Amino acid sequence: MTALASRPQRSIKRRNDRTGERVLYGALAVLAAIVLAPYVVGIVYLLAAGAMRAGAFSQYAVPLQGVSGETGYRLLLSACMGFTLGYVVGLAPRAVLARGKSPRPRLAKALPRVLGLLGALTFALLLRDHMPRFLLTLPSETKAGGGVGPELFNSVLLAALSTLLSAPIGVGAALYLARFARAKRFVTLARAALDTLASLPSIIYGLFGFLLFVVMMNKGYSLFAGACSLALLNLPIMVAVSEESLRNVPRDLEDASLALGTSKVRTALFVSLPYAWPGILSAIVLSIGRVFAESAPLIMTAGTTVSRATAYSTDPLRGGESLAVHLWYVNSAGLAPDRDAVSAGTATVLLVLVIAVNAIATRLARFGGANGRGA
Amino acid sequence: MAAAARMLRGTNAQGGALRMAERVFRLTLGACATFAILATAAIFVYLARTGVSGIAQAGIGDLTTGTRWKPEAGSYGGLPLVIGTLATALGAVLLGGIGSILAALWAVELAPKWVRATYRRFMTVGVAIPSVVYGWLALVHLVPLLRSFAVGIYGPDAQVGGEGIAAASLLLGTMIAPTIVILSFDAIAQVPQSIRDASYALGVSRVKTGLFVVLPYVWRRLLLALFFGFGRAAGETMAVQMVIGGARKLPENLFRPTTTISAQVVMDMQNARPGTTESNVLYSMSLVLLLVSVLGVLATHLLSRKSKGAP
Repeated sequence: MTALASRPQRSIKRRNDRTGERVLYGALAVLAAIVLAPYVVGIVYLLAAGAMRAGAFSQYAVPLQGVSGETGYRLLLSACMGFTLGYVVGLAPRAVLARGKSPRPRLAKALPRVLGLLGALTFALLLRDHMPRFLLTLPSETKAGGGVGPELFNSVLLAALSTLLSAPIGVGAALYLARFARAKRFVTLARAALDTLASLPSIIYGLFGFLLFVVMMNKGYSLFAGACSLALLNLPIMVAVSEESLRNVPRDLEDASLALGTSKVRTALFVSLPYAWPGILSAIVLSIGRVFAESAPLIMTAGTTVSRATAYSTDPLRGGESLAVHLWYVNSAGLAPDRDAVSAGTATVLLVLVIAVNAIATRLARFGGANGRGA
Repeated sequence: MAAAARMLRGTNAQGGALRMAERVFRLTLGACATFAILATAAIFVYLARTGVSGIAQAGIGDLTTGTRWKPEAGSYGGLPLVIGTLATALGAVLLGGIGSILAALWAVELAPKWVRATYRRFMTVGVAIPSVVYGWLALVHLVPLLRSFAVGIYGPDAQVGGEGIAAASLLLGTMIAPTIVILSFDAIAQVPQSIRDASYALGVSRVKTGLFVVLPYVWRRLLLALFFGFGRAAGETMAVQMVIGGARKLPENLFRPTTTISAQVVMDMQNARPGTTESNVLYSMSLVLLLVSVLGVLATHLLSRKSKGAP
């Protein structure tokens, strides 16, 4: 009865409420857009600004600058680009061929890979002297027209080295913590250590790496020192992601294996690890992305120079700057007249690398986890 | 798979040698885990040892209260560095923190589903973008903008420029926003639906449920996200170094160049010979950064232990 009587007032109140609600909703949406805007604008801007510099294909003399090892690098670069192109082109027909068919047809499944290999071969054989000039030439301190060839090479080498160091230790530690550790105090201690490592700013790794790998090894700045520092930096994320995906392995699978009389070690090696593999791989890919992005520790351990003699050498005991370090160096000490264009090109290459790595890691992570492929 | 199956089947038949191998394997795994502990200990011991000898050489009083950082003249006043670090990090959290949490609230609670996924993806990329790229973009675009802004405020004759705490705070705010958004995103997404339903059943609108029920429910994790952002901002090196200006003194206002601990470390390390006082004091200053991250870890433990009791 009373509800009926008070209805008019309440509906006015409700209308006011609804307006206020709408205003609040709009304000929050605008705020979210403002937070998002810098990244969208920045990414689009970078891709537009640096594409000219980074992507300009042109013909040039062979060998370009007479640097030893450049031919090999050129082959590698063209093969990688060809594979990527072929793989991406192959994704669309795969989707069409596999539509509605539950196990994908073998042909459709292999298509991107085959096209990728074809692309790699074509590029390496026919187009290796027509790669973007920017990705091949040496950097230049004072003259215009410098490139980032050795920097790109160093970044990839650093990623490979530091992954070689951090992946086995990280996965091993994750396996131990997730499956074998019995002493509770040890687990707590290890977790506290990993939490602390994860929270340290990257410059701390640079300072530590300088003390341990540069001063005490007495070899000067070297890629090895940089890779060691970055491996330490990546250790916590490697352990955390691997452990997470190991914990997502269904208990039934392991119990089934154990019930067959398999030992714990074998179950972990041949049941849990294969099942958790996509997640572990995504951890590795993520840490490669961090190697590409990191600069502060590298400045203090791997140096900021590129020498002509060892530009494409695989010797880990030489120093050399990575792409990210180059971007900083050009802006803080470079004298080249076209340093804005060089910076834009470098930033674009970095961005493309990081986005690609991130996309791969996301795809891999989707394979693992709850809807994993099973062992 | 077939090989794995064969190995699985073969286990029981084989005896001691295999068991021995398994034991070694187990020990190796244990060694990997121990390595993480040892590495952490080594980082702390080495940095503390070098840092303490730096303190002994330069004097604790000068390092904490002196206002002139000039190692080549034997003057180690660390105050500008500490103030620079704390001020830029605080500014970053103020500028980027609250907005990020509210943006995450909108994206999780109120936005359509596809917006939510896209938003998260962009923020993931935002976390991954190298800090030098942020720094370079800010150097080329933000600094000139702030310079004209500062000239507009202080007049054309004032000695102000685009570089300084204002630029660094804005840049750091942009850099830590994706991290804070993603952490809050995950926190908000884990709020049980029953909490929201209870609020809706009382006739509370969606926006108000979000603001006054969901956010307070996860306040601990949101606070942690802010702490985490502060830690990242305080430790950030390259991007800040590019826009802070590099003057080794206390700034008169937000638009005058100054410096931070990490920026100064990365600049001075290139010239300082290892073992000298110039090099050691840099380690002493970096102890402040260590302290910040240790406090962050402690805060995480305290806050998450308490939240275990909560439903």
